[in-house]
Amino acid sequence: MQVRVIGGRKLFFDREGFLNDFEQWSEELFDLLANECGLLVIGEVHWRVIRFLREFYAVNGRVPLNRQLREGTGMSLLELEKLFPEGIRQGARRLAGLPNPKGCL
Amino acid sequence: MEGHLIYLDNASTTFPKPAEVLTCMLETYQRLGVSPNRGGYDLAVEAGDLVEETRRKLACFFGAPDPDRVIFAANATDALNLAIQGIVGPGNHVVATRLEHNSVLRPLYHLKKEIGIDFDLVPFDKHGFIDPDGIGRAIRPHTKLVVVCHASNVLGTVQPASDVARICADRGVPLLLDVAQSAGLVPIDMTAWGVSAIAFTGHKALMGPSGIGGLVLLPGLQIRPTRFGGTGINSVSVFQDQNYPHRLEAGTLNLLGVVGLSAGLDYLDKTGMGQTLEREIDLLERLYQGLRAIDRVMVYPVAPRQQHTPVLMCNIDGIRSEDVGAILDADFGISVRAGLHCAPLVHQDLGTSPLGGVRFSLGPYNTAEEIDKVLEAMARISRNQ
Repeated sequence: MQVRVIGGRKLFFDREGFLNDFEQWSEELFDLLANECGLLVIGEVHWRVIRFLREFYAVNGRVPLNRQLREGTGMSLLELEKLFPEGIRQGARRLAGLPNPKGCL
Repeated sequence: MEGHLIYLDNASTTFPKPAEVLTCMLETYQRLGVSPNRGGYDLAVEAGDLVEETRRKLACFFGAPDPDRVIFAANATDALNLAIQGIVGPGNHVVATRLEHNSVLRPLYHLKKEIGIDFDLVPFDKHGFIDPDGIGRAIRPHTKLVVVCHASNVLGTVQPASDVARICADRGVPLLLDVAQSAGLVPIDMTAWGVSAIAFTGHKALMGPSGIGGLVLLPGLQIRPTRFGGTGINSVSVFQDQNYPHRLEAGTLNLLGVVGLSAGLDYLDKTGMGQTLEREIDLLERLYQGLRAIDRVMVYPVAPRQQHTPVLMCNIDGIRSEDVGAILDADFGISVRAGLHCAPLVHQDLGTSPLGGVRFSLGPYNTAEEIDKVLEAMARISRNQ
């Protein structure tokens, strides 16, 4: 568990840098985490991915399936992987403030 | 995504199951889905006969002389737990390998912490094989058990089980072979090899459903019961029956699973296990050669012809394995298993921990055309196109 103070708030992250509480995410936090992982130019296409991930999670209580992610963002996962310096899971999903997957890794 | 699903996760479970297996399960369960050998009515006796017939088939399949020493369990992990916890006690030593799945590692680490057992894990060489003499060197005077995975679920390498068994027999230590990945692909002869026990699962290459597996024991090996309950015989006694298989089986059996497993064995008998493996290895060779020719793809670590199940692990430099798996799934309709495959020490030794790798595991329904599509997909991912 890592504790960081960002924007005057104490935020908790797991050892892989995933935010503990989905509700604590903010655009300011996204900008900071994106910058830290080398995503320096953030465009509308990035926001489309982040918005889709957050809205899907808020409505369904889980992350989208691979095919739902493709359909929902309107882009292939290969394109999506290239968009974020750390890829899909550690990049897009982590920056969107979604929980760390519990699957076996 | 275009086209049909290409399923390459058969080392997790074979999919789809043969239609005749599923049909047999449904028809038999509709006709005989009662508690086997509980009660004297005809249906219960007939269901019990099916169970005993399946024990006989399994004993024959694995080269074991006594069908009563075929013990049903939920899966290989369950069977391994039955054997390990029923053989090893406080102060005992165990020899296993660094190829083991968590189904062996976790019971061992648990027993180390809880009752103070000790164990050594023998390393594998750069080709993914255990040296049987390394097992011999690790055996100590208080070694109670040797456990070896017959085929690695990460690398696909098949270990020299008969050589290991000979060394164990010379040292008077029973060998428990985890055949989760090999049963149904590689012929296994417990008697000829001198393997004291095997733990198998029904839902992989044996072509049965999930939820059924078991333990097969040669005569002479004794295992303490670690769970207790109804067996359908000698109900007057409040103590567990000491005869096999009831000594290690408690509670109503998974009859549907037993029926499916039996049908899976019939399917293998009909299709020819050796021919199936040969065909799958041909496809694996095609995959192996194709992957090696793609820029940025690293294949681990062995040419598949040498004592191999149809399993291959690789990575694409610069892309996390889990992301490669997700891209293959969503963009190309290819199902693979990415990550650590519940075998953390294998990945530690390969240098692929903690991110793991992308595992392709082939099954009886895969075709050369599918392998070519996989290669095309991997090439596109590698080129970032």
